[in-house]
Amino acid sequence: MARADDDKAAAPAAPATTTTTTTSASSATPATSEEGIMAIPGAKDTIDALTFEQILEMDDDEDERDFSKSIVYDFFSQADSTFGKMETSLESKDLKTLSELGHFLKGSSATLGLTKVKDSCEKIQHFGEKKDETGTRDITEEEGLEKLKTTIDQAKKEFEEVEKVLKKFYEGEGA
Amino acid sequence: MDSGQQGSNSSSDFVRKLYKMLETPSDESVVRWGNDGDSFVVLENEKFTKHILPKHFKHSNFASFVRQLNKYDFHKVRHNNEENGQSPYGPGAWEFKHPDFKMNNKDALDNIRRKAPAPRKTNTTAEEMIIPAQQMDMMSNQLVATQAQLHALESRYNELSIHHSMLLQEVIGLQKTVVNHEHVMQNVMTFLHNIDAQRRRDSRMGNPFSQNGVQAQNGAVEIQSQAQEDDIPASPLQHAAKLLSETNADVMLNPRNLEHMNEMSIRMNGTLTTPPPDFIRSARPASRGPPSAGSSVNSMRIGDLDNLVYPVGQTNGIDPTFSEHINNIPYSMPPKPAEPADTRFQEPRKKSAQVDPGWVRQPQILLVEDDPTCRRIGSKFLHAFHCTIDSALDGLEAVNRMQTGKKYDLILMDIIMPNLDGVSTTHLIRQFDSTPIIAMTSNIRSDDISMYFQHGMNDVLPKPFTKEGLLQMLEKHLAHLKKTSTHLQPDGLVAPQPLATARQILKEEDSPAKSPATTWGNSPNQITGVSPVANNVTDEYMHAVHANAANYAPPGQMPGNMYNASPQMAMQSAQARQHAGHRRQISDISGGDDMNNPAKRQQAMYGNGVMPPQPMNPMQRPR
Repeated sequence: MARADDDKAAAPAAPATTTTTTTSASSATPATSEEGIMAIPGAKDTIDALTFEQILEMDDDEDERDFSKSIVYDFFSQADSTFGKMETSLESKDLKTLSELGHFLKGSSATLGLTKVKDSCEKIQHFGEKKDETGTRDITEEEGLEKLKTTIDQAKKEFEEVEKVLKKFYEGEGA
Repeated sequence: MDSGQQGSNSSSDFVRKLYKMLETPSDESVVRWGNDGDSFVVLENEKFTKHILPKHFKHSNFASFVRQLNKYDFHKVRHNNEENGQSPYGPGAWEFKHPDFKMNNKDALDNIRRKAPAPRKTNTTAEEMIIPAQQMDMMSNQLVATQAQLHALESRYNELSIHHSMLLQEVIGLQKTVVNHEHVMQNVMTFLHNIDAQRRRDSRMGNPFSQNGVQAQNGAVEIQSQAQEDDIPASPLQHAAKLLSETNADVMLNPRNLEHMNEMSIRMNGTLTTPPPDFIRSARPASRGPPSAGSSVNSMRIGDLDNLVYPVGQTNGIDPTFSEHINNIPYSMPPKPAEPADTRFQEPRKKSAQVDPGWVRQPQILLVEDDPTCRRIGSKFLHAFHCTIDSALDGLEAVNRMQTGKKYDLILMDIIMPNLDGVSTTHLIRQFDSTPIIAMTSNIRSDDISMYFQHGMNDVLPKPFTKEGLLQMLEKHLAHLKKTSTHLQPDGLVAPQPLATARQILKEEDSPAKSPATTWGNSPNQITGVSPVANNVTDEYMHAVHANAANYAPPGQMPGNMYNASPQMAMQSAQARQHAGHRRQISDISGGDDMNNPAKRQQAMYGNGVMPPQPMNPMQRPR
């Protein structure tokens, strides 16, 4: 997977030649995104370049990246504590809280463009409401709890994955 | 040296001195008469300059001597056209000639005069030099005077604008007090209504409701008649409520006016462009006053300048020829004095109107968002658009902030937040304020959105928002703060009648079960499909209502439930509907005929948007 990503990243920002996910990103964002964070293996699937790029644009200093870095690192701790709370709520079978936590993390991950985490959080939100993952069909509480367990684990994994990418981006570039 | 003798009829000193010089035989080796006696020759330039010139002319400058000769129309004799091109007196000799300057002919010397044009020329240049100097003096005096004037004006203007802003602040403060009183009154009213309703309900329990239960279809009609019955005992209350809502409307008018005045003065200060297009906007139903207020400020100021500047200029003896200049100065100057006044005017708003989106002043934005990431990014974007941002961490904080009377140009509101959700928050704010509120949410299904609008929100910004999306929102809803006013009228479209909406909102709390038919058709305590509290027995419900009324808004519950506790209120809302009939009418009408459709739709909104985790009453479940 990493291989494929590298290939894509190396390709020029010609929308027509890239896949659907990259077209939207590369057509609207400058080539820097291809050289920057999107070149890091794993970034392609986990981060929406367009969204993340507009946050990077807000950095006053392109080398320090104080603003986006602090936001991203704050998000890390926010996510950590949210996953912790999810764990406790899962034990106490507090579906309502789980749904709220899912929504909460969904908002910030969406704002940062961390698409995978966002999608999982949305599922957590729905399962907490005792709905299926699209939020349309009802499911039982047991079903919900079961799905919540796996989805939270999945979200965590996805979070760690994107955390790695982001840290690489900031520490590799900043240091 | 010789300027004194220039005009004399007898031969000039210079010429006589010149003649005398040539009569000194001891100097013949240096300067002498020419061979023909009609010219004189300076043989040794150096010696002549050093020794002879000082003796006769009190200076030792050969160039001056030559210049002087030229003035008296002596000419240097050139020998170029002679055979050898050499002067007969030697290569370094200077020979000068004048037709009347001849050896042994002293009388002819009288004919030698300074050249006519030369003296005249010197005269005129002298005059020219003198007159401009006088003009310069006058001009600079005038300038100094004008500057002094301007300073006086400037300080006067600053003083006035400080006073003005002080007055404005005072008035705004007063208005806030009035608004607060208003809220207290409303709370009291709500409380009284509830008590009243409960009393009547208690005395009446069972009877009308069972009837309704049977005849759900005609529920609306039932309520009408029922409400009329109920209306009688509570008519003083009803009356009070009506009065209150009317005064409330007035209160809502005024701050708008002031705000506009504020904006006007800022605009006038910042850029002296008259902003007529914005007047048009201000002619919204909510504010008929501002145009006149604004223009009076405007004309007064110009009048001041006129009166002050002109007379002072004249008393300073300013040449009428320059009056145009003087007239112009004050008009081109005001931007300068205006600026300091401006900053004093609105301390927190640093005037950076020239920047990016081109605001007249920095828009004040309230960002209501519980998620720190979104809040920070949102703030950052807004900051990039040169807005001033306050943020509230949840709805409760937002309401509190608004209740302190702080004015914003726009509120960006997250929907799902702890303590008090965005819809409820909007709802509460709408009872005393009409600032545009934009929902910022990822819940953007059409039923969600229509619910946002129903509760007084003006627009929706889907999350995750983009910079462009945010900017578009700002430009759409803050068009009146744009320098070049691109004339949008967003409020007119979205919230056509702020007053009506506000009043209506008071009654619309029952919205989940919008149509009376459903409400009363089910059972008295299921007025609200939203809150599980409502699924209790009437008495309990009423208690909950009381509790709610006290703290304005229960967390996680539609606050409005309290309002429609009594059939009398239903009556009221029916009236309100007649007054401000829009949107609601449809649901009402259709609610009467076909209760399934709209009722379901509205309940669906609540099921999805506001209270997602709550298990729903099957009756109210659309799916």
